[in-house]
Amino acid sequence: MKHLKYIGFLMLVISFQSCHEDLLEPIPEAAVSSENYFLNDDQIETGVIAIYDAIQGVNSTNLNDNRGVQHEYYVTEMRSDNTRTKNQEGEAAQFESYAITANNGIVENYYRSCYSTIFRANLVLENLGNASETMSPIFEGEAKFARAYSYFQLVRLFGDVPLIDRTITPQEDEIAFTRVATATIYELIVSDLETAAANLSNGEYTRASKAAAEALLAKVHLTLGNYLDAQVLCENLMNYGYTLEPNFNDIFYSEGNNEVIFVIAYTQGIEADSQDFSAEFMNGVGRTVGVNYVTDDAAAFLDASGGNRTPFSYRIDPLQPTQRQVVKYLPNGEDGGDNGNVFESDATLSGNDWVVLRYADVLLMHVEAILAGNQETSNAAAIASFQMIRDRAGLTDAVTSITKQELLDERRAELAFENQRLFDLLRFGEAQAVLSALSTANNYSFTATDLLLPIPQREINLSNGLMTQNPGY
Amino acid sequence: MNLKTKLACFVMLLCSISIYAQNSYTIKGKVVAKSDSIPIPGVNVLNLKTSKGTSTNFDGLYEIAVTKGDVLQFSYVGYVTQTVIIDAQQNLNVSLADDANALDEVVVVGYGTRKKKHLTGSMSTLNVEDKGLDKIAVSRLDDALVGQVAGLNVAATEGEAGSDPTLRIRGVGSLNGDSAPLIVIDGLVVDSDFLGNLDMNEVETFDVLKDAASTAIYGSRGANGVIQITTKQGKEGKTTFSYNSFFGFKEARQSDDYYFTVAETAAAEQAATGTLSNRTAYKVLLTQTTGIDRDWQDVIFEGGTIQTHSFNARGGNKNTKFSASLGYNHDEGVLLTDDYKRYNARLKLDTKIGDRIKIGVNFAPSYTRRRRFDGSTHDILRQAPWLPLYHDANTIQFVDFNTYPNVRIGDYAIQRHFDNYDLFGDGTVSQDISNTSNTNPAAKVLERDRNDYKFKLAGLFYGEYKIIDGLRFRATLGGDYQNTFRNRWQGVLSNRNGAAAASYFESNENRIHTLSEGYFTYDKAFGGHELNAVVGASAERWEWQGDSALGSGYTSDLVQTLSAATILNEIQSYRYEEGFSSFFARVNYAYEDKYLASLSYRRDGSSIFGVDNKYGDFPSASVGWVVSEEDFLSESEFLSTLKLRASYGITGNKDIDTGNDLTDLYPSISLLGTDNYNSQAAFVALNIANPELQWERLIEFNPGIDFGFFNNKITGSLDYYTRTSDQLLLFNPVPSSTGFSAALENLGEVRNSGIELELTSRNITRENFRWTTSVVAAHNKNELLDFADSNGQIQNVDSKRAAEWINLVGNPISSYYGWVVDTEIPLEFINDPYHPVGGQAQDVYVKDLNGDGLIDDDDKTILGDPYPDLVWSVTNNFQYKDFDLSFMFQGSHGAEIRNMGDQYLFNHFNSAQDFNTSTTPNQGFIREKIFTNAIIQDASYVALRTLTLGYNLPEDLANKFGASSFRIYATGQNLLYFTASDYTGFNPESINNTSATTYGYQRAGSPIFRTVSVGLNVQF
Repeated sequence: MKHLKYIGFLMLVISFQSCHEDLLEPIPEAAVSSENYFLNDDQIETGVIAIYDAIQGVNSTNLNDNRGVQHEYYVTEMRSDNTRTKNQEGEAAQFESYAITANNGIVENYYRSCYSTIFRANLVLENLGNASETMSPIFEGEAKFARAYSYFQLVRLFGDVPLIDRTITPQEDEIAFTRVATATIYELIVSDLETAAANLSNGEYTRASKAAAEALLAKVHLTLGNYLDAQVLCENLMNYGYTLEPNFNDIFYSEGNNEVIFVIAYTQGIEADSQDFSAEFMNGVGRTVGVNYVTDDAAAFLDASGGNRTPFSYRIDPLQPTQRQVVKYLPNGEDGGDNGNVFESDATLSGNDWVVLRYADVLLMHVEAILAGNQETSNAAAIASFQMIRDRAGLTDAVTSITKQELLDERRAELAFENQRLFDLLRFGEAQAVLSALSTANNYSFTATDLLLPIPQREINLSNGLMTQNPGY
Repeated sequence: MNLKTKLACFVMLLCSISIYAQNSYTIKGKVVAKSDSIPIPGVNVLNLKTSKGTSTNFDGLYEIAVTKGDVLQFSYVGYVTQTVIIDAQQNLNVSLADDANALDEVVVVGYGTRKKKHLTGSMSTLNVEDKGLDKIAVSRLDDALVGQVAGLNVAATEGEAGSDPTLRIRGVGSLNGDSAPLIVIDGLVVDSDFLGNLDMNEVETFDVLKDAASTAIYGSRGANGVIQITTKQGKEGKTTFSYNSFFGFKEARQSDDYYFTVAETAAAEQAATGTLSNRTAYKVLLTQTTGIDRDWQDVIFEGGTIQTHSFNARGGNKNTKFSASLGYNHDEGVLLTDDYKRYNARLKLDTKIGDRIKIGVNFAPSYTRRRRFDGSTHDILRQAPWLPLYHDANTIQFVDFNTYPNVRIGDYAIQRHFDNYDLFGDGTVSQDISNTSNTNPAAKVLERDRNDYKFKLAGLFYGEYKIIDGLRFRATLGGDYQNTFRNRWQGVLSNRNGAAAASYFESNENRIHTLSEGYFTYDKAFGGHELNAVVGASAERWEWQGDSALGSGYTSDLVQTLSAATILNEIQSYRYEEGFSSFFARVNYAYEDKYLASLSYRRDGSSIFGVDNKYGDFPSASVGWVVSEEDFLSESEFLSTLKLRASYGITGNKDIDTGNDLTDLYPSISLLGTDNYNSQAAFVALNIANPELQWERLIEFNPGIDFGFFNNKITGSLDYYTRTSDQLLLFNPVPSSTGFSAALENLGEVRNSGIELELTSRNITRENFRWTTSVVAAHNKNELLDFADSNGQIQNVDSKRAAEWINLVGNPISSYYGWVVDTEIPLEFINDPYHPVGGQAQDVYVKDLNGDGLIDDDDKTILGDPYPDLVWSVTNNFQYKDFDLSFMFQGSHGAEIRNMGDQYLFNHFNSAQDFNTSTTPNQGFIREKIFTNAIIQDASYVALRTLTLGYNLPEDLANKFGASSFRIYATGQNLLYFTASDYTGFNPESINNTSATTYGYQRAGSPIFRTVSVGLNVQF
């Protein structure tokens, strides 16, 4: 066989790739398979961090990415009398003018973001069996806090929504699309927050704590009209050692200060861990030309009632003096120089934390709980809490009684541009009147049905008739 | 002869093959076809004694060294081989008889060849030189394929230099997978990006396999059709050297509709209102002072040159044949900054060792460097025509120095610089003019530097062993390596935010693809039966490895590297793998050249799919009956060829493209990727895994006729096909409440059906004058048959401009959806109709289709689709003595495009141009134009794709240059280009890269261009 060597060569060729036994089953190297994951505390904790990561949102200009809380101002503050777009352009301008369509991509994104958080929370809850006895309740508390937070946002923005309390497959249409009554969802919210409050302790502010769970639960109870429950929770919270930050501005620029109860944390300069809303609030620094600009109405109100909080709440846009900007979240604390739009750091990679719950809010909730839906109170405990907020704002005249309107106004002045205003108006039952007046003054098209956002058209379309739209859309 | 010597040295160095000359005399002559006395170029002339050979030139002329008593053999495909004994004659003219009965042209069919007359599937073969494809002045060879093959649609979807056209064979069948055809170069499967690295002068033929029966041998990768490329190989005989080159100028086709000037707008405003607004008056003053009133098309469509140089050396002896080539191409593109350079080489060598063994190597390194146009035409072209590029002495006097104290002559001009102008010189009016705070539009492009550098190496070694007569075994070891380095510098002046926004992005990817395959071929002919069988197996593997990072925090443009950055972001690195193994077999059978049959089968396994669905089976069968071989037709003068054939086959598609390589390559596994929150590590679920995922499947039935009339003066083929793709790999939207937006599933069914005609008529075939006409036409109809839960799905590609597509059963996959325009809103109701220049109202009255008195979603309807109904070409070739002329008209009809460019260029989103809400009637019937058919435009076109005039220097003259043949030519591409009257843009073929279910989105895009060039082909 003189051709043996050639045949040998051919055999070699054939066997060349047979040596890869895993040819058809390569193991991914750039990711892990979930089958062999969430097996111990360390691994489950990365799943817990992923929940916060979902609320944090992706810092991206791509609307397919879940923007999480980074887009929350669109669906909350810009639907109140506090803010609007700078140039009334594009779908962002639908919010201020109450012309939101069911196709609005920002609404769709926020809806999806909330369920992404809920999914990640459910994933952790389903893997708790692999956690240690010590850590299991803590992970459970954190996951349930985040799930409750997301549902609380969803019910207040959309009304009835699908109730997902476990991971589901795309085939489970019934569950995925059936809108469940808000009352039922509130049952889950309350139960989740009660578990979280019981399981967690204090000491964290970038992750859920007992105080965060109780403060959020207090707000849920106020929303539901359970004033006594709320009052108990608030008074509990007043014993945890939180204090009002003496200088109002420090709440936003001194991270980890003693007033904040829960924030969504961001890290400057790191794309995967930073936010862009600080840039969007400026003039042509972010992707938009400027959004969440302050309405004339809010500016006039703050000028009259803000006390020393006003200069730390908004400013005249240095580039366009007819316009006003929010200054609670200036990119990385920089003021943008003379033009107000030139920053040394990358403003689109800002590290300002987003404050979700702070002690001033708790004090005002305390007042609200005591007021208990009445028009006025002269309860000493309520006045004490109220006076603390007023004093810090430099409005030191002694308060003798508090009307419902005064409380609502105080909340507006204290918590302006913190995405509280719309929910406050709703909770106080003033949304219809205030927003109608705003609409008339600005030639907007507000009607009662605008108090709820549309269910994203995408969901309606996918549901094949299972999902109903909110009235007015 | 000096050049020739140098070239010879070069080739000797390159492959160490030397050919020695012998003492003898030179015999000359001409080879013509017996039937029509037309010279035949490329005839192999072989001296059987010395084993030296040559081939005839363009005019059928040859010369070869002989001594008395030698035997010359003349052979050419399709003609009867002739041998002549040399008897001291100096001239020998030969006329070859048509091998009409046995037109033994062979075509490449995948793992082997088949006689063309025995084909039972649908395929088209393009011989590069016959079709003049090497004379078309384009940088990428796929651009030259437009109009050449019925059913192969080539669209210039992106117009940048070096960008790839969109290739589609018989419509779009896959919704999510890649619909591009498979590319096979000399038997090696490569990805379609390699088309950008080939030199047309290297290519001998393209064999385009269209129906499933032809492509089923490629199994799961055959569903989108296959383009097989065979590169040139040397012929036995004298080594020939050739040099091919062209040089040309390119110029963009502008859009008149998008061409705006202040003068025009001012005139319109004057005519309509009798006066000019202050703002317009300021614009007029500005343009009159600076002399600048031009559209930005004039600035960014700067035109450019294109040139190619290609050297080739080919030759061989009885046992060894070689081809070596070296090419260079430089295309400056028609846009600002775009530029494309290609360097390529190839060595192909085959040698026989004894009677039984043949080995060969084919090795092709190439390098391309592409600078991108790093901007968006829609963004730049909407800028004001009065805005200068740079400040000069005239423009500087308008600058608002209070706000911009540092502006100097030579700086980029920015619109805001011109605000607050004291229009009447008395301080009464401080006139604004700007409509954007952006920087100068050209600065956005000029101050960016974005490049793609690609190094590729494709090659294979093979060995073939003849076991017994007719039975051979062939083993191949091959693969390709690809390094892609991309970088993108965004300079200090490219952004209104200056140095703070300067950034540098860099990515580097290595991809290695290895292939090993072996197959047996068995050929047997006995008593009128011809049998050909192939059976084999192959294994392939791909590995990707890459990393990327984004640097920022630069203070200047001085050092444009990652090292100079102060902040690094988007740091990524990855490694992926994919494995593929196959078994394949085919049997071809022919009886007396009359009754034909072919069966093939392939089983593919892929790492992409889950354990239960790793393998897919792809069988096919086809039959043919050559009626003209039957006795009752064999004498027919009228009908010289008639073949009826039919094929049925199943092919597949495994490619998934959801935009995330990781989840696309491992879709059956639930993956967790890394992310972080507050500097803590998070593991985040990336996908909804689908372990049941399996192959997309395409079933095709293709009856066809091949015919020839009047002694085959008119030949052609007619095909009908239905292609049904099902179990599509769909990235199906899922309820958001799952926590995801989409998941991969096998869903849905799409059908493409159509008719294809290819016709060639040799109208005149006299010795001095020849005229040939070719017609290619294809009709395709695309229909969504089943779309599961997604039926009726409405999608958009940009939620800020949420114009909708609907995917509705019974209609084409992507159909535009929206309201129907009724009438424009009269100008009197528009607030500020003359600013900015070119601006139009964003709204329009729409029709109440269901007549319920209000406009809502129920009044939306399908507004068109992006798929052409008819694509055709007509090519005429004339040859008169030494001159040749050819031209091709090519057209496409029936496709529509959603031209979002209108929204930008006509400034539809400008709130200042809204209708007046207090005076405008019937406001409930007003909708934004982008949601209507106002921007759905007819994308039809008719183009003079190529026009080439060539001249072959007479042999004597050519010899004076030391050449055996010398041809010069002038050629033009797209010299005429007609679009539909309602199309406003500059390229109806331009389509943004969106998904298959939202196809047809154009955002101004990039222009079609005209090329005029001169070229040269020299052979030594």
